Amino acid sequence: MASSVAAVLLGRARSRRSLASAAGKALETAGFIVAFFLLNLGLGVLFTLVARATTGGFVSLYVNDDVSVLVLSALQALVLQWWREPEPPSR
Amino acid sequence: MTALRWLGGAAVGLFAAVAFTPAADVLQRSLVVPPPPAAPAEAIVVLGAGLDGSVLSSESLRRALGGITLFRHGLAPALVMLGPGPAVGPTEAEIRRRLATDMGVPPSAVAADPRGLTTRDEARVCWEALAPRGARRILLVTGSQHMPRAAALFRRAGFDVVVAPVEELPLETPRPQRRLELFRGLVRELVARVYNRAAGYL
Repeated sequence: MASSVAAVLLGRARSRRSLASAAGKALETAGFIVAFFLLNLGLGVLFTLVARATTGGFVSLYVNDDVSVLVLSALQALVLQWWREPEPPSR
Repeated sequence: MTALRWLGGAAVGLFAAVAFTPAADVLQRSLVVPPPPAAPAEAIVVLGAGLDGSVLSSESLRRALGGITLFRHGLAPALVMLGPGPAVGPTEAEIRRRLATDMGVPPSAVAADPRGLTTRDEARVCWEALAPRGARRILLVTGSQHMPRAAALFRRAGFDVVVAPVEELPLETPRPQRRLELFRGLVRELVARVYNRAAGYL
């Protein structure tokens, strides 16, 4: 909480957009993270079931229950968000 | 983009509710019924929980110790340790069998069966091993979150199940990380129940 207040005080002088707009952008990024996470999880489950059916071997569904899936989803979301941003004007 | 903001807002709200309030404990209490006192049975069956590399995972160790404690209290004459293993090296069941004998369980009383890969598999292989010996009333040892589904699958296999759950995560903890782990376990178990019902296993 204290660090957030400090960041607002410091950022107020330099920021070019409102805090509400920044919070909306942050929620949008969080939404992208959730969307990527659900997509990755769904694909992981699908691949696991396909692997079970085609190889005859056993692959646990729990391999998809790993925190790295969330971290990778966050990276995907951040790259997509920055990719969608307009290029800054060249100096 | 508005939908994404709502999704993001819901995710942040859920995170805050789970991490910083006792919501996960409330959910745990509503989904996991407190067990009755452990009662005598013909065998104690300890379900697998996985290896971390070549050693028992924390959950596996807790379950194994729960089963050994029940045996040492004289609640059943036989102890069955389950859990598969890697292609090379001892299985989870074998490591637990050794642990049990090291802790004073007679080797003749403890068996290791690594064949079960899923809870449903474990119910099947246990039935194949125990039913011919007349052991149908079992004390089932697994995590408290896993117990409702596991008990249902073992009853469906034919067993008379006495539940003996062990706590795998601390409850009533103020630590946000522990609350998130508890919630993750509950969600995982709920998804597993839905999958088992959809597949017709429950």
